[in-house]
Amino acid sequence: MDKQLFLKSKKIESITFIFDILAIIAYIALFLMLFNLLQLPDLDPISGSMDLDNLEFLTPTYELLGSNLDKWQMNSIISILVIFLVVTFPMLFINIKKNKTRTIYEVDSYVVGSKFVQALINLLTFNFVGAGLRIYNTFILIKFVKGYSPKEFFQSIIPAIKKWFADRKVKKEKINEATIDEYSASLKRSIRRQNTVGALRMLGTYLFLVLMALIIIIPFYWMVLTSLKTFTESVAINPKFFLSISRWNWVNYKVVLTELNFGLYIKNTVTVAIFSTLGTILTTIFAAYAFARIEFKGRELLFSILIMTMMIPGELYIITNFITVSKNGLGWVGMPTGENQYFLAMIIPFVTSISYIFFLRQNFKQIPESLYKAARVDGCSDFKYLMRVMVPIASPTIFTITILNVFSSWNAYIWPRIITGVGDPDAKNYWLISNALRDSTFVQDSGRVMYNLQIAASALVTVPLLIVFFMFRKYIMNGIGRSGTKG
Amino acid sequence: MRNLIKNVKGFLIKIGNIIKTFFWNVRRIINNFKRKISNFLDKHKINPAGKFPGWAKALLYLSPALIILAVFTFWPIINSFALVVYENYNMTNNTITGYTIFGNFLRVLTDESFIVPASHTASSAVINTLIIVFISVPISIFIALGVSVALNAIKPLKGFFQTIYFLPYVTNTIAIGLVFAYMFRTDGGLVNQFIGLFGVDTAGLSWVESNAVYWRSMFVLIFYSIWSALAFKIMVFLTSIQGIDKQYYQAAAIDATPKGRIFSKITVPLISPMIFYITVTSVIGAFKIYNAIVALFGVQGAPPGVNYNLQSIVMYIYQFIDGSKEGQLSVAAAGSLILFAIILVLTIVQMQVSKKRVHY
Amino acid sequence: MELRLENLTKVFTNKTGQETRAVDNLDITIESGTLVALLGPSGCGKSTTLFMIAGLVKPTSGKIFFGEDDVTKLAPEKRGIGLVFQNYALYPHMTVFKNILFPLENMDVPRDEAFQRVKEMANLVGIGELLDRKPSQLSGGQQQRVAIARALVKKPRVLLLDEPLSNLDARLRLQMREEIKRIQRETGITTIFVTHDQEEAMSISDKMVVLDFGKEQQYDAPQDMYNQPDNLFVARFLGNPPINAFEAEVKNKKLIINNKPFMNVNVPDGLYDVGMRPENFRVHEKGFETEIKDIFHIGRDTMIHFEFNGKNVRALVDSDSMTDNQKTVLLTIKPERVYIFDKETGKVVNHA
Repeated sequence: MDKQLFLKSKKIESITFIFDILAIIAYIALFLMLFNLLQLPDLDPISGSMDLDNLEFLTPTYELLGSNLDKWQMNSIISILVIFLVVTFPMLFINIKKNKTRTIYEVDSYVVGSKFVQALINLLTFNFVGAGLRIYNTFILIKFVKGYSPKEFFQSIIPAIKKWFADRKVKKEKINEATIDEYSASLKRSIRRQNTVGALRMLGTYLFLVLMALIIIIPFYWMVLTSLKTFTESVAINPKFFLSISRWNWVNYKVVLTELNFGLYIKNTVTVAIFSTLGTILTTIFAAYAFARIEFKGRELLFSILIMTMMIPGELYIITNFITVSKNGLGWVGMPTGENQYFLAMIIPFVTSISYIFFLRQNFKQIPESLYKAARVDGCSDFKYLMRVMVPIASPTIFTITILNVFSSWNAYIWPRIITGVGDPDAKNYWLISNALRDSTFVQDSGRVMYNLQIAASALVTVPLLIVFFMFRKYIMNGIGRSGTKG
Repeated sequence: MRNLIKNVKGFLIKIGNIIKTFFWNVRRIINNFKRKISNFLDKHKINPAGKFPGWAKALLYLSPALIILAVFTFWPIINSFALVVYENYNMTNNTITGYTIFGNFLRVLTDESFIVPASHTASSAVINTLIIVFISVPISIFIALGVSVALNAIKPLKGFFQTIYFLPYVTNTIAIGLVFAYMFRTDGGLVNQFIGLFGVDTAGLSWVESNAVYWRSMFVLIFYSIWSALAFKIMVFLTSIQGIDKQYYQAAAIDATPKGRIFSKITVPLISPMIFYITVTSVIGAFKIYNAIVALFGVQGAPPGVNYNLQSIVMYIYQFIDGSKEGQLSVAAAGSLILFAIILVLTIVQMQVSKKRVHY
Repeated sequence: MELRLENLTKVFTNKTGQETRAVDNLDITIESGTLVALLGPSGCGKSTTLFMIAGLVKPTSGKIFFGEDDVTKLAPEKRGIGLVFQNYALYPHMTVFKNILFPLENMDVPRDEAFQRVKEMANLVGIGELLDRKPSQLSGGQQQRVAIARALVKKPRVLLLDEPLSNLDARLRLQMREEIKRIQRETGITTIFVTHDQEEAMSISDKMVVLDFGKEQQYDAPQDMYNQPDNLFVARFLGNPPINAFEAEVKNKKLIINNKPFMNVNVPDGLYDVGMRPENFRVHEKGFETEIKDIFHIGRDTMIHFEFNGKNVRALVDSDSMTDNQKTVLLTIKPERVYIFDKETGKVVNHA
């Protein structure tokens, strides 16, 4: 094994990443630019609102780099950009991870092949520099794995194929030649029967799994598909199951984001999610540390009280919390318009969580006592020990807590609805996305329910979660499995 | 070229070093300062740690969490016991007209549409909740078990399937609920289209829209709740099945045990504590079903123009929480205490049974 | 630097109010630059003693002196000690380099000098090439070296090792034993080494302390302790195979075994506990005749089993001096290798 070649290939791969990132930035920038250009219906001069019934009959033309594009061409370009992003972004993410962790022993012909396929993908997504570098890298890896230089490699292809066919022939002949006695024949038959049964069982298993996977995945597919349809298509008696890329109406998303104010709601939700998560992380780390490491009287008692409250249904809290944050309590909601502190009311009650304290304490307890002693001898104060040693060691758990907390803020429905539902006209501006999804009106004056827009809003809410999930799949799935197992 | 890269690299490292040295020196100064203070304290025989007992330190670390918990967790528990004895509690004026011990509980229990269906409706909150609990929980556990055993049996594509099955867990209940409602539309809904393939006449076959029959809308609700609950169960079951010692299976394979028997005699008994735990938690979860109903049927909890309601117990409670009428919060508190009692019983049963161990 | 323990005592009180004296009136002076082993069975208070010296456990009474300074009430980080744990206690999220650097972060050392010291120390313990690795990528022996480097990098006055070799496999243990000895010689640091393995303690230490139930049993150089144990406990604790101990009477200055006089001893008449090490027996024609119960050939030596006063006794003798189907054997033992202990106090009576 030539370590130099391996290191060289790694280095080239990391240079390729720069171009991959540049390409992705270019896609995003282009996408944003084109998305911004998309034309919406004019505002109605009397009501000041937009007549969305006209959305699908709009036929604007766009001027781009000196050529005129119609609506369909524009849709196609944006769709292609999105497809590029969907392909290249995960690829980059996975590649960076692999490049970091791959050891010299893991490089085999499969890796070489996948590198070549990636080069082809780069070529198709107009990332020519990346493609060139990857092909160069492929040859280095061929040299590393097989010992061929590029020229030798091309020369070796045809003989290798010939040899493969020849080998097959020889094998077949060998089997035919072999004389078989009675016993081994019956043995062979039974093995064959066993293999057939096994294969059938496997087939059944996979069929079952595929069927279940379809049931899971179809709502997502239908959501994305519908969100790109026009209104007429979305309420058609015979819905289409596929759309050509020129029929993908990206303008739906633009309407949802701007005209239906989902941009604002997403901003609200992100604000609440960030602050409540930050608060949760800080309070849980300190509390878990106190429960795991500091000796004090009544620690077990206090902790078991906390655990017991986990059993109490959330509805019980909400009633009194509503009183607490309203006029006769802290006065965050239910005040005259303009004096309400909706964000405070949505964040503060959720900046700590008993179940996360419990989860983190279990994790802290597993850190051996001797680390603490070692740190003490090294002159490390308690606080510094917590920050420099315990938190980094428990970081996977803390990360899982972060993700779960962000998810739960993203899904919060009942509490924001209650506090924004007390009759303040201003409250609409503080909706979180779940409220907005349920309570925004997608009904036009003409009485039509704009299903395509409603579903586009749903997709807009779902897709960020899915992206986060795919990025941190392992952490999230392991975290859930573990937290469930521990009870 | 190579030299240039080297120079740039060296330059960056140098800058990094300067910054790091700066922070190191800051830390040194702070350490020195600390040392001086402690030397001074030592000299004058002052021992702050001695006057600073463990609980004070603990309090310092615990206080952020405890303050929040006190206001938003402990106080509500105490206060809800106060609320249920108030008569006609008015939230805006903070006034009551008197006290009652069982009045609010009686109001909940005798309310039409809580236990007994009212004359104008065909269902009640408790009936709805029980139907959801007794149908969706067993079915979802059964499917989840099947899927996780099948997942455990395969090797290629395992991670792929696992990821797909996990998707419902990371979605917004309201958003996907809206998609489900859209899929179950009468005209042009995906489900009716699908049924139409088998020659069923789908004209006017409505699920979540007006004129939907009770059982049909209930079916959609149960289907959706199973769909969204599967992810967590599959994940947990798979983790515990993978935790089973491989030796049991190897021993079974040598004894030529059929697959069905392996499943019923090894897998299920060994993960039975987990199955039981999941059963109880999902029963509790099913009691609290709310977002799914709201997503599918709106805040009214029923398709438009029908004479029944799909309210669950939690939904019944929430309809009282806007404080607009006198005494409503007390009723809500009474309702939630009843719910708490149900959950408490279930939890105690779970604890008792798992103490005896469901194993083997 | 000299280290002195004065009447050091630690009493633990459990929840029911029961008191256990983990360390009882320990009075030891450890000379500068020596390697002293604290030896004893598990639960004898040796680790507690170590942690009291480190400052992690507060003594109930008594004093600890480092040289002339009374450090009894000083916080651990101010004592200038290096501590190595049984499980090494390396920070798993830091590289080897950062692990060794960590103690220096809390001291008044310029960054360049700190880096220099880390590298020097890593080279001293022989892990100069592993600085970029995480502890999980190291073998047990390498982790041990990192732990020692981390303890030594702050130039402590005393190095404390808490059962540092017990997590290693047998071969590595031998190697690390020599390694620790070498590092200690090179740095000349006063070192205390806690172990329950008597062989390890004897091979590594300049002097050793044997503890039992928190009490000091003997404090001496290893070989002296082996040859002249103060009491029955020490005699029993040292040596493998263990010493043979049995009851015997002394009548008219003669030790009576199997109702026959065995040898002359200079102690008053009475009942005593007698100890004889298996390897001290010799086959000799003028020896004491005993009936052989069992013979095991183990390479160079032969182990014979027989009975002294009803107790099974083992002797390790030269293989050449035995034939296979021998029924009896004639054995002698040097008088200074026979230990006679007082029945009540357990103290040796025939050695000065």
